[in-house]
Amino acid sequence: MRDLFQYVPGTSLLHRLNPVTKLLLTVVICVAAFITDRLIFLLGLLALDLLIGFIAGVPKKTVNILKGLLRIALFLFILQALLTRKGTPVFWIVTDTGLLTAGKVVLRLMVVCMPLALVLAVTKINDLANALVQVLHVPYPYAFTITTAIRFIPQFLSEMDDIMEAQTARGVEFDAAKGFRKLGMILPLCAPLLISSVRRSEQTAVAAEVRGFHLRTAVSGYKQYPFQWIDLGAVLFCCALIAAAILL
Amino acid sequence: MIDIQDLTFTYKDEPAPALSGISLTVTDGAFLGIIGPAGAGKTTLIRAVSGVIPHHYTGDYYGSVRVNGLDTVDTPLTDLSRLVGMVFQDVDSQIISSVVEDELLYGLENFGVPREEIPSRLEFALDRVGIADLRDRTIASLSGGQRQKVAIASVIALRPRVLVLDEPTGELDPRSSRQIFSLLKALNREYGITVVVVEQKIMLLCEFADMLAVLDQGKIVRQGKTREVLARSDELEALGVNCPRVTLLTRLLSERLGKSLPVSVSLDEAEKLVRGLMQ
Ligand SMILES: Nc1ncnc2c1ncn2[C@@H]1O[C@H](COP(=O)(O)OP(=O)(O)O)[C@@H](O)[C@H]1O
Ligand SMILES: [Mg+2]
Repeated sequence: MRDLFQYVPGTSLLHRLNPVTKLLLTVVICVAAFITDRLIFLLGLLALDLLIGFIAGVPKKTVNILKGLLRIALFLFILQALLTRKGTPVFWIVTDTGLLTAGKVVLRLMVVCMPLALVLAVTKINDLANALVQVLHVPYPYAFTITTAIRFIPQFLSEMDDIMEAQTARGVEFDAAKGFRKLGMILPLCAPLLISSVRRSEQTAVAAEVRGFHLRTAVSGYKQYPFQWIDLGAVLFCCALIAAAILL
Repeated sequence: MIDIQDLTFTYKDEPAPALSGISLTVTDGAFLGIIGPAGAGKTTLIRAVSGVIPHHYTGDYYGSVRVNGLDTVDTPLTDLSRLVGMVFQDVDSQIISSVVEDELLYGLENFGVPREEIPSRLEFALDRVGIADLRDRTIASLSGGQRQKVAIASVIALRPRVLVLDEPTGELDPRSSRQIFSLLKALNREYGITVVVVEQKIMLLCEFADMLAVLDQGKIVRQGKTREVLARSDELEALGVNCPRVTLLTRLLSERLGKSLPVSVSLDEAEKLVRGLMQ
C-alpha cells in the first residue's frame, strides 16, 4: 500500500512515452470500458492493463494492484448480484442477468482503476505536471494541486503508521482487532492526521511561493516533452481501441 | 543588509507575542548565528526575515523589517524571495518534487534562470552539498539527512544574496553538519552571501559565525560578535544556553589563574592557549 503511488524508475517503452500520451491512453481505456457492453471485451481490456504493467517492467506492482482491486471487486460483485431482480434465477435469489451485470460492473471498475495507478508508476509526478502545463496548457496552480495531493498520499500513510505505532506502544491492540472494530479504532486517529496534513500543505504552499510559484508559466519548464514516433504509435492504438469498443 | 527595528509579532489567536521588541542589524556579507531554547521564537524570527511573516502568517505586527532596503510588509513575497533563500526547519514540507533533480530545477525554472546556465547551477549545488550521486533518486527513497541536504542544495542553486536557514543540520550526523557549515562559510566568503542560521549545535555555530544573537522568550537577550557574546559564558549558562566546552575551559582557566584570557571558540584555539600557558 505504501508504494502504490510511487514512481518506479525505468526505461521501458511506457516510461519513454510522453506523459500526455500516457494520460490519453489511460482515458481511452476508461472510455472504452464504458462504451462497450460486452463481457469479453472488458476481459480483453483487463488483459491489456496487465500487459501494460508487464511491459512497463512493474509486474509485481501490477499483481499487487490487481489483488487489492479483487478484494473490493468481490464485495461489489456479491452486492450487485444479490440486488439485481431481473432475469431468471440461477440459485436462491441470484439471477443470470444479475451475475452478468455484476461481472461487468466489477470488471469496469478494475479496468478503469489499474491504468490510473500504473501511470503513476511509470511517470514522475513533476513530468506529469510539467507536460500538462506545457502541452495542454492546464493552469499551473491546478497541476500543482493535483500533483501535491498525489505526493502527500505516501506521507499521509507513513504518518498514520507512526501514530498507530505510538498507540501500540501505549497498549492499543490494533492487530487483535478485525473489521469494524479495527475501523472504530483507526477513525479517531484521522482527525489529528488531517490537521497535521493541512498544516503541512500550508507550509508546502509557502515553500513553493518562496521559490517563485507565482512566476511559473507554460514556458518555465527546463525539460521539454516533445512527441515522438512511439507517441504516434500509441495514439493510433488508442483510436483503434475506441473504434473496437464502438464496433464490437 | 537586514535591518530589524523594534519588531513585535503575535500569531493570530495567540495570547502572548512570539517576538517582542526585536532590533537587529545584519551587515552585508555577515554570518549571523541565532541560538536559544525551544519556543524562544527563532523560527518566527527567520520567518520575519524571509517575509513569510507577515505575508503568510497573520497576526499583530509592529515595527519594521528591511532586507536590502525593502520593507518586507510592502514588498511582495515573490520579490523578496529573489533576494532571500530560505531553508525550513521541517524539510518534508519544504520539498515539492518527487525526484532530487526536479527539486533543484523548480526554483531555477521559476525565477527564469537562462536555460544554458541551468546545468552548471545544478552541478554546482549538488557537488558543493555533496549529493551529486543522489541526483536521480526519488525523494521518498532518501533518509532524513539526505533530504535536508536536498533542501539546502535547492536553495543554494538559486544563489540568493541572503541565505536564512532554520536548524539546517537537525537530522545530520556530526560530519555532515560540519560539511554544511563549511559550505555556508565558503559561500559567505566567496560570494559575499549574507548567512543567517538558527542552530542548536553551539560548538559549530561559534566556530563559523561572526555574530551571535541569543533569543529567549521572544526577546534578544545577547547580540554581538561571537567572541564578545561567549565572553559572558556564565550568563549564557544561566539562560540555559550550553556553551562550547572549549569556551568553558577558557573561563575556568581564567578564573583559576586569576587573569583574563582571550575566549577560544574552537579546539585549535584552545590548544594554542593552553600550550601558551604551559610555557
Ligand atoms: N504557526 C504558528 N501559529 C501560532 N503560534 C505559533 C506558530 N508558530 C510558532 N508559534 C508560537 O510562537 C512561539 C515561538 O515559536 P518558534 O518561533 O517556533 O520557536 P523556536 O523556533 O525557537 O522553537 C511558540 O510559543 C509557538 O507556540
Ligand atoms: Mg524552531
